Amino acid sequence: MDRRAVVVTGVGVVNSVVVGASPALGAWLAQPRAAARVAVGHGRPAARLPEATLAGLVDPAEGRRLSRVCQLTIAAARLAVAESGVDPARGLGLVVGTELGDFTSTIAFADGFLARGAAGLSALLFPNTVMNTMAATTAIAVAARELALTLNVPTVPGELAVARAAAAVASGRVDAVLAGGVDELDPLVAEMLDALGDDAVRGEGATFLVLEAEAAARARGAALLGRLEGAAWRALPARPWGVGRRAESRAIDEARRRAGGRAPGFVYTSASGDAERDGWEARVLAAALGDIPPSASLAALLGQHGGLGALRVAAAAWTARSGLLPGDAGGQPARVSGPGLVHGLARGGGHVALMVSAA
Amino acid sequence: MRRVVVTGLGAVTPYGAGVKPYWAGLAGGTCAIRPLTLIDAGGFRCRIAAEVPETAGGSPRRSRADRLALGAALEALEDAGLTAADRADAALVTGAVGGGMLEAEAWYWARARGERPPGWAAALRAILPGSHAETLGHRLSLGGPRHTVVTACSSGAVALAEAADLVADGVVDVALAGGVDAMTRMCFMGFNALKLLDPEPCRPFDRDRRGMSIGEGAAFVVLETAERARARGVRVYAELAGHGMTTDAFHVTAPEPEGDGMARAMRAALAAAGVSAAAVGYVNAHGTATPQNDRIESRAIARVFGEGRPLVSSIKSMIGHTMAAAGGLEAVATILALTEELIPPTATLVTLDPEVAFDCVPGVAREAAVECAISNSFGFGGQNVTLLFRRAAS
Repeated sequence: MDRRAVVVTGVGVVNSVVVGASPALGAWLAQPRAAARVAVGHGRPAARLPEATLAGLVDPAEGRRLSRVCQLTIAAARLAVAESGVDPARGLGLVVGTELGDFTSTIAFADGFLARGAAGLSALLFPNTVMNTMAATTAIAVAARELALTLNVPTVPGELAVARAAAAVASGRVDAVLAGGVDELDPLVAEMLDALGDDAVRGEGATFLVLEAEAAARARGAALLGRLEGAAWRALPARPWGVGRRAESRAIDEARRRAGGRAPGFVYTSASGDAERDGWEARVLAAALGDIPPSASLAALLGQHGGLGALRVAAAAWTARSGLLPGDAGGQPARVSGPGLVHGLARGGGHVALMVSAA
Repeated sequence: MRRVVVTGLGAVTPYGAGVKPYWAGLAGGTCAIRPLTLIDAGGFRCRIAAEVPETAGGSPRRSRADRLALGAALEALEDAGLTAADRADAALVTGAVGGGMLEAEAWYWARARGERPPGWAAALRAILPGSHAETLGHRLSLGGPRHTVVTACSSGAVALAEAADLVADGVVDVALAGGVDAMTRMCFMGFNALKLLDPEPCRPFDRDRRGMSIGEGAAFVVLETAERARARGVRVYAELAGHGMTTDAFHVTAPEPEGDGMARAMRAALAAAGVSAAAVGYVNAHGTATPQNDRIESRAIARVFGEGRPLVSSIKSMIGHTMAAAGGLEAVATILALTEELIPPTATLVTLDPEVAFDCVPGVAREAAVECAISNSFGFGGQNVTLLFRRAAS
């Protein structure tokens, strides 16, 4: 079947060091600095967005009424839609990736019952216990009335959300989709991650992209920030929450095939500090690409969270435009060229590959 | 676009494990909503639900929801006769909400009592909705695209729509898709908090309905291209001819009062299938039995199909609202309604709400041969899905 070219026309980023649209992200990528890590409950130090920053990004009523992770989602989504200039009334879908959803509200809802029995249950909190609460509130905030999906997978929810949204646009089922990911970090989540033995460097935040059919974006005169040349997701064999042995990647092959077989000039990986998982990803990349081109993950700078995958896609578009690849330790970016590969591999085998170029 | 057909069915329901007892229960109009046993309902006005009497799926170390999902998924794969080679490239799309919450709750409740039970990490790993896909993918050696969708009560139906897209677009030739949810305290308490549960078995479309009943279960189907099914010489249950997915963007729990998003989903399914409204003879309704849903859904159906036809029924009258499993279970019921030429009833319906302008098949199943049928699923956040099934060519 004929597939439509898919472009990025808007970016919205909200995390502890970048808040804004594509210019703000580009400025940080040109001179990256690590987010400050603060103690979060009993968990390890992590990158957390100051409350005052978040309060300035949503209106006061939303700040009172909505959970923190919903506020993060809405703030990033609005930034992306504003930069894009896309008209939601012409049809806008939404795909939200998340690792943890609104875990904070889920625990608060349970605690209400445990403290006061049935009388302690909050009808306002209950909808937040369902993981689509971020999509539900964001769809209202930005008037997205087409398909609205929430995708749940460890490590790579943002990459998967962008890949799924790109497929929806490429197939012609919807002209524009707001896609990205989000996770928050609070003391309860930090405790949960510690209990899970999670070794990743953690952060929080949301990143959303507006993806559009290229022809429609050009017709309305939108600025094209990047092009998704090919996207694919597959599963590699692994036990639940486990790291697998197999390294042959059909996702990378498929994404490259859709991109005309081009080799990536750089890679944004999902390396997160989880040594066992990171090693598996390195083997998968080596098997697919031979010599791995210059790579970065940004997790060491920003902390792993559900928004990072979409941020890497936006970063790959910036790198393809600028020829600069930031280093994971900060400092001066490296010079690279060509399209880039955004690659994600999760414990349990979730696996995503996207080829990204300058539009 | 390639044509997508259904070649395998699997279900674990409040009637037990298997599609046969499921259909026998629905066809017989048997209400499986009974007193709760899995969780303590003390202090709540509603103390009933539709529980699965036994769970398939092997090891009790797995979460109850994982066991429900495995039972249904294995049955669907075996029904379709898929080989190990077929499975290696098959997509897996799972609709889920509660994950292994039932087990995590038991741990958390014990902790609240001052105990320190082991197993927190294992319970947490299973708590996320995406955990079922990891279990199914590993246990069943499914190596194609895999993702887990969470759209609240429409998750199971969205999973089928997503898988159908992957097959139709040529990403894969075959996919396993469905939904699962086990009973959880969170769900039961939440709907109690919203005052949406009927203390008696729910009565969809009844004038005197007082809310939902909760259920649990799992349903999976195998989807593949029509050409592939023909080449394999396997039974084709029905064609998944089209679907529509829309969002109300109105309220986090309440549906948009005019049913605009619901109607758009139904129209989109008709358009995708290239089917006229007149060709649809049966609507398997979302039909939760809440005062709001049933009134708004019937209004939306009337906007698309006109008043008076087609036949409309809600199997939630028999198995309750099985949450993320509902879309999958109702899809299986819709498919079997086509193949068996029997419309499952709204078993507990006695007095039709005068605002509902349809024959809602009260009490007893109705013999009817229809060409096309739709299954509606609507979730919190106004997440609307319609699946349109067409009778398989004989």
